[in-house]
Amino acid sequence: MARERCVIIGNGPAANAAAAALRQETSDLDIMLIGEESFPHYRPHLLPAYVAGSLQKEDLFVTPASFYEECDIRIRLGQRVTHVKFDQRELVLSHKEIVPFDALIIACGGMQRIPERLQIFEELMLTLKTPADAQKWRAGLQTAETILILGGDLTSLSFAKALVSTGKRVQFILQEQSFWPLPLTPTLADEVKQRLTRSGVEVLEASRVHRLTQLSQDVIEVETDVGLMTANLVGAFYGLAPNVKFLVRSGLDVERGVLVDENLRTRFDLVYAAGDCAQIYHPALRDYWVSIGYKNALEQGKVAAQNLAGGMTTVAASPANIFCVEGVMVNTSWWMEF
Amino acid sequence: MATVVDITVEVCGMAGDGAIAAGALINEALSRGGFSVLGFDSYPAEIRGFGRCVTRSRIGSEEIVAMGAETHVLISLNEAEARSRIPFLAHRAMVIFESNPPTYVHHDSSFVAELPPDKLLFGMPLSDLASEATGATRGRNLTALGGFAAVCGINPALFIEVIEKKFKSKGEKVLHTNVKSFEAGYAYAAKEYSEKREHAFQFPELLRQDGKVMLSGNQAIGMAALDAGLKLYFGYPITPATPIMEFLAAALPKKGGRVVQMEDEIASIGAVLGSFYAGARSMTATSGPGFALMTELITHGVMAEIPAVIVNAQRGGPATGLPTKTEQSDLHAAVFGGPGDSARIVIAPTNVSECYHYTVKSFQLAEKYQTPVIVLTDFYLDNRVENVVIPRASEAETRNGNVFPPASEKGNYKRYCLTESGISPRALPGMEGYIFTATGLEHTEKGLPDYSPEVHTLMTEKRHKKIASALADLPEPEVYFGDDRLDVGVIGWGSTFGSVLEATRTSRKKGLRVAALKITSLSPLHTTIIQGFMERCSHVLVPELNYEGQLANLIGHLHHRPVVRLNLVTGTPFPPSMIIQKIEDLIHGEAA
Amino acid sequence: MKTPGHVLAQRIRDIGESGAFRPRSDALPTWCPGCGYFGIHQALNQCLSRLELPLHNVVVVSGIGCAGRYPFFSHTYGLHTVHGRTLPVATGVKLANPDLTVFAIGGDGDGLAIGGGHFPHVARRNIDINYLLFDNSIYGLTKGQPSPSSRTGTITKASPAGTFEKPLNATLLALTYEASFVARLFAGDPNGIAAALIEGVKTPGFAFFHIYTSCVTFDKTFKTWAHLKEWVHPLPDDYDPTNRRNAFEMALEDDFSTGIIYRRD
Repeated sequence: MARERCVIIGNGPAANAAAAALRQETSDLDIMLIGEESFPHYRPHLLPAYVAGSLQKEDLFVTPASFYEECDIRIRLGQRVTHVKFDQRELVLSHKEIVPFDALIIACGGMQRIPERLQIFEELMLTLKTPADAQKWRAGLQTAETILILGGDLTSLSFAKALVSTGKRVQFILQEQSFWPLPLTPTLADEVKQRLTRSGVEVLEASRVHRLTQLSQDVIEVETDVGLMTANLVGAFYGLAPNVKFLVRSGLDVERGVLVDENLRTRFDLVYAAGDCAQIYHPALRDYWVSIGYKNALEQGKVAAQNLAGGMTTVAASPANIFCVEGVMVNTSWWMEF
Repeated sequence: MATVVDITVEVCGMAGDGAIAAGALINEALSRGGFSVLGFDSYPAEIRGFGRCVTRSRIGSEEIVAMGAETHVLISLNEAEARSRIPFLAHRAMVIFESNPPTYVHHDSSFVAELPPDKLLFGMPLSDLASEATGATRGRNLTALGGFAAVCGINPALFIEVIEKKFKSKGEKVLHTNVKSFEAGYAYAAKEYSEKREHAFQFPELLRQDGKVMLSGNQAIGMAALDAGLKLYFGYPITPATPIMEFLAAALPKKGGRVVQMEDEIASIGAVLGSFYAGARSMTATSGPGFALMTELITHGVMAEIPAVIVNAQRGGPATGLPTKTEQSDLHAAVFGGPGDSARIVIAPTNVSECYHYTVKSFQLAEKYQTPVIVLTDFYLDNRVENVVIPRASEAETRNGNVFPPASEKGNYKRYCLTESGISPRALPGMEGYIFTATGLEHTEKGLPDYSPEVHTLMTEKRHKKIASALADLPEPEVYFGDDRLDVGVIGWGSTFGSVLEATRTSRKKGLRVAALKITSLSPLHTTIIQGFMERCSHVLVPELNYEGQLANLIGHLHHRPVVRLNLVTGTPFPPSMIIQKIEDLIHGEAA
Repeated sequence: MKTPGHVLAQRIRDIGESGAFRPRSDALPTWCPGCGYFGIHQALNQCLSRLELPLHNVVVVSGIGCAGRYPFFSHTYGLHTVHGRTLPVATGVKLANPDLTVFAIGGDGDGLAIGGGHFPHVARRNIDINYLLFDNSIYGLTKGQPSPSSRTGTITKASPAGTFEKPLNATLLALTYEASFVARLFAGDPNGIAAALIEGVKTPGFAFFHIYTSCVTFDKTFKTWAHLKEWVHPLPDDYDPTNRRNAFEMALEDDFSTGIIYRRD
């Protein structure tokens, strides 16, 4: 008699926490993780340290292959879900494979966001979301002397600090709408600038980037509202957008992320969302908040799994930790740490 | 330090997908690239060629002598068929497959779903790429090759050259289409997987070698016969020997010879004997069931002292057996088959080069020793391809081996006169003064039937002495690797020797005291040399692709303790890993 | 009246000088006295002499049976091969050296039973050999078993209730197998055989000679010399051997007409 199947879309902290918790709850369930990236499960928040050289590559990857075998969890890497049909309870992968599911946890995380007007220069900028990105940074750092960070999301802040420790010259252009999903209010901006400067980062006067040009193999010229400057490497850190485009027509409620209640449930039966891709309803605030950060992801993954298995846990988030800015509620542990 | 390459690439598809062509191109391209290449395909067994085609190519920077157990790159042209190949994938193997199939596939029958998570996936929209580039999807096998080249860092020029060479004769349009299909795949994968391919195995760039060709055992045998001056080929179709006949049917008339497809194997060997009796070199090739039919006439050749050359391309047996599987179970039949004490010459090549040289030599041996010479090959050796320098035969190898009677014998010629070596000078029809009748009855020196005890004893001794004297002209057993005292000596024959050699090399790298002995002359046996080798060994291991241990039966008595038999009848080449395991078990004191 | 000795001696000397004995070997034939093979032997020797073929260019290939012993009694090259395989062996000899004149000799067992599968193919290949089939409808060497040309009801130790099979007609078979030259002959008429042989040897392509003969030792009831002499008769004078249809009719309707039944144009 075939077991029922729970598919978990994603292979990040939320997805893996969910898988592990689910398996602890029951052995009578087929659990399948489908990750778009080819890398095994890694800790994204450790990437800055890895780039800076203070961490070995092996330490990035959390879960050995044997874990999945021992726990009887199917893990599929490098495969992308193109759409989900909730009425048929099927999802489709990019190579046209139909996967039926009985339960679904959406934990597909976020994608590096590049503002529209800068997308044309995408090739000239580096992001830092995956180990592959980290490799490019490491390669570039071998010869680079000056690094320019654009944006100002949470990753950029810890990354800039990490780069300073390598002895490179780190310059920063803090921009509006870069601290996504928060816009940069003057108060926040000042606070960030202070902390950056204290860490040894040069925060520039510029606030808008107009154009990037590759002058030579190692030099990129940047035109800002203040003037021209050059750097060896340019990093784009404009925040993560939930990776939910593929769900837009599925019938799920999707705003910035997948809308779920405080138990992480979507409007469909036995379908949950957790981690960077979720927007969670807070009954006290009567609004949805977006979570960012490793610890949140882990916790939410566990909660989704427990609730799937029959529990009714809510996601803990004290209202005080949630920032309300410009109509968007945000909870982040990184902000607190930073 | 140079990267050591030892990669097995498979192309898997349905008949009609172009898998075989793709595999052949991989072999040619990488051979040009300076690598050692060993390829062995499996074809659909059924008549119309429906069914799965799998090409396997093992590519090495050092000499490759055996097929590998694992696959490092799988190129799937048909995912439903390719599922069967998943269990053979090595850790972190690369898989190239169609990422945009025409229809949706349910998870339960999905190829991609079945791939374990450690494999590196390189999906490509093969059909789309091919049809965008050329208007048709037929070239998608070449598109997949383009992807392979890009992902594994192989210089595309190598592939384009061999594509041009292969399709030049089909016209400009076909050639152009094929090159475009390949390039479309290359461009796509180079861009799409520019990062990911770093995790894939990257082939280093070696020094080009343009002087080698991919040659199969069967082709080598055909070429050898031609170069040895074959005049007549008589044969009957049988797997896996048929390609030899077909090769010669095209090539032999150009050299003034002739191929006649006879009505059965008995007629074939009969005509070969008749032909050699009249002085012309001829040959037949068959497999187990056909060989069995020939045994009576083979012993006639032994008794009447008439030369013949017979290739027995062994396959799974007994009886009709397994026509498309490899086996080494005709050794007994080849050495002993047929009525009476009928010792004859049996030689077994171990690789493509030996297929060539031994076949060339067989004609001379047959003529000199006036006896049938059986060249034993097997399905694997016949069909596998190795990249070799085009073999050539020396004058010494091809010269006529007949010993003619002197003029002094005219009018008083004794065809079967007793001599020191056992070889009686042989006259040919047309030579005046030497008229005689060759007969399969026991006979006097003059050739007249005689059943008396003295004559039969003398003549039997004569014939056996003659065959024993052939030892001097037959390839001696060869020892691979030294050491006076060996823990394990591995003895192999035929295509299994390649696996023995690899197993021995690997074991020695681990520090084990192991050596290998290659036996190619199976009758007569160089018993002194074999025994000398065995004496140095604590254990003698004889791996063979047969159940009864046919070589072990022939030589086992030469060792002071029972030889260790390792027998396999899987129908596939002997895996070196199994031999290595046995060697280790023996050394570490497991039960023999 | 007995012939005077000196006359006989002279006759023998004449024959000797004529070369008619040349093709005989030293070995004495082992056939039974009265065997029809002696007559065929005489005829073939005549043929070789008259054609003036150098004997070292002649090869006789034979199978197993009394007929198989032929090459030993012939001073030509010989190849005494295994039962039933005369034709393919002869094929090999001829293709190897087309300058040789090749005869294949065998009995009805050799040719129609075990060797039956080779007969069609040597004929359709039109190999330029001359096949003599000594048809005595019995297996003599193995001491009297029925052969494929024995009539239904033949009683032997191997068939005490009489054979149930229908006999094969070798002439008819040869015609069916597309032989280029088919002659049906009688061992009691060596001159007739010699004449046909000479024609057949000169004809390029496969020539077949179906020769009726008697086994005096093992068939004392059916194909005896007395019966054969009665039954055998020459073909009509106006018979056209190039007419294939007639040849078939002749082979079917009249088992004992002798001469050249068919010759391809």
